[in-house]
Amino acid sequence: MRDRFGIVFLATVLIALGAAAQPDSTASPSVTILETQEAQSILGRDVRSLTDEDMGRIVDILVDGEGGVRAAIIDFGGFLGVGNRKIAVDWKALHFVPAAGKRYSVVLELTRDQVKAAPEYKEGKPTIVLGASGNLEPLP
Amino acid sequence: MTEPLPPSPPHPSRRSLGRLDWFVFLVADVQTGFGPFVAVYLTTQHWTQIEIGLVLTVSGLVSLAGQMPGGALVDAARSERIVAGVAVSLIAASALIYATSPIFPAVLVAATMQAAASCVLGPAIAAISLGLVGYAAIGERFGRNARFAAVGTGLSAAVMGAIGYFFSAQAVFFVTAALLIPALFVLRGIVSAEIDPERAHGNPSGQPAGKPRAGLRSLLRQRPLQIFGCCILLFHFANAAMLPLMGSVLTTRSSQWATVLIGACIVGPQLVVALFSPWVGRQAQRWGRRPLLLVGFAALPIRGFLFATVTDPYLLVVVQLLDGLTAAVFSVMVPLTIADLTRGTGRFNLTQGVVGTMMGVGASLSPTFAGYLSDAFSSRVAFLGLASIAVLGLATVWLLMPETRPPARSPSLNRQAVVGPLP
Repeated sequence: MRDRFGIVFLATVLIALGAAAQPDSTASPSVTILETQEAQSILGRDVRSLTDEDMGRIVDILVDGEGGVRAAIIDFGGFLGVGNRKIAVDWKALHFVPAAGKRYSVVLELTRDQVKAAPEYKEGKPTIVLGASGNLEPLP
Repeated sequence: MTEPLPPSPPHPSRRSLGRLDWFVFLVADVQTGFGPFVAVYLTTQHWTQIEIGLVLTVSGLVSLAGQMPGGALVDAARSERIVAGVAVSLIAASALIYATSPIFPAVLVAATMQAAASCVLGPAIAAISLGLVGYAAIGERFGRNARFAAVGTGLSAAVMGAIGYFFSAQAVFFVTAALLIPALFVLRGIVSAEIDPERAHGNPSGQPAGKPRAGLRSLLRQRPLQIFGCCILLFHFANAAMLPLMGSVLTTRSSQWATVLIGACIVGPQLVVALFSPWVGRQAQRWGRRPLLLVGFAALPIRGFLFATVTDPYLLVVVQLLDGLTAAVFSVMVPLTIADLTRGTGRFNLTQGVVGTMMGVGASLSPTFAGYLSDAFSSRVAFLGLASIAVLGLATVWLLMPETRPPARSPSLNRQAVVGPLP
């Protein structure tokens, strides 16, 4: 279990629930109210495939310079901390389905067979992102 | 409690021995609740990877630095039972903290507490065992301890894995904390008067308290101990990364069955340990320590080599059973060899801490080394690299490690001569 010692230094995205900051600091900021069905935290959320396979959970999110979300890091596979691997999947391959309950179900458009062979995500190295078609594409 | 110390040879009651079995079993259950579940649980609590990594690093450092102070504490204690009770209570308390308040400062305290208490609990169990049964029967007793620990670990890995899967990682911590009650109950059942505190520290029994113990420096200068420490370091260096590396190889090769196969890789070796460790304990008394150490160590490079060559996922699980053989040998031989080497020094538990530190160093080098090799080359090269470290360790045992079993039927007076003069 000591393999988790490597600390992943990565800026984590805060999903801004408040409105964008106003340039004028004296004016009160505008306020937007989001219903729980409209926006949710997704860190640590379980991911399922289209056929309801267990695809692990979201542990991190990668953004580019424009603030666009490029990829999610999922912690995939394994049992009791053995054999799990962090894999980057294309943000567009993830779907957030408002469920009848309180939480979105997170669905990944890939199967376990497509994800299992993907290279492990390593911070500080070029990220290889698994696209919706199951192809590997390096992030620029 | 107030009875005078029982004279040697020891006569532990069946009740005490049975309760010790159960205590070892329950402690293994409690410890399984940590480790794997901490990272998963904190992830579900929206913790970032950086924070989780920090907590795990701190707890790793505490459990490395705490080994020797933990052992020294057990040597200094007059009641091993109370020490063990306090340690297991702290671990349960930290499980409760995890479950109820997953905020950073609280979790940091809980992780530190759990790591520090574990440094005390391991030696305390070995000390209770030695204090109860004495040197003549300790090989078999350590074998029994290893059996109950393996059953506890295997069973709770399966049960807590299921709880984590079907309920939540949080539920795992509540179950872990609740195990404190039966653990303290069975600990109370071990009759305190039967645990000779002097014997538990590695002194001849009935010795008046307050006799000066061997100095740490003279202890560390013992050549057999230095060699044994190096063997243990090399063993964990070669061993620690093997299962995790094999697990991630399994994950890449098999999708449907990977989880089940990895589960089998964790539980399978525990079954082997449970079956064989009492036998190992008995044979250690009959054949001596060296042959068993050699067999256990030899299985490690073989396993590394087979992991590098076998590709079938099901065969990999079979190969992993060799881990059980190695673990059965080492879980008995490590405390037993330490007990041999510290006879009459009063430093049995401190020395366990010394060897525990070597173990921790080896185990923390292992993933770095294997990770580097598998990134730079391939997992096959990593397995072969680990196997060559294991060969190095095997050679150390073969060429340098002396037999530590005291001569058969030696009267207790002569025992000290085996490990050299007292300071």
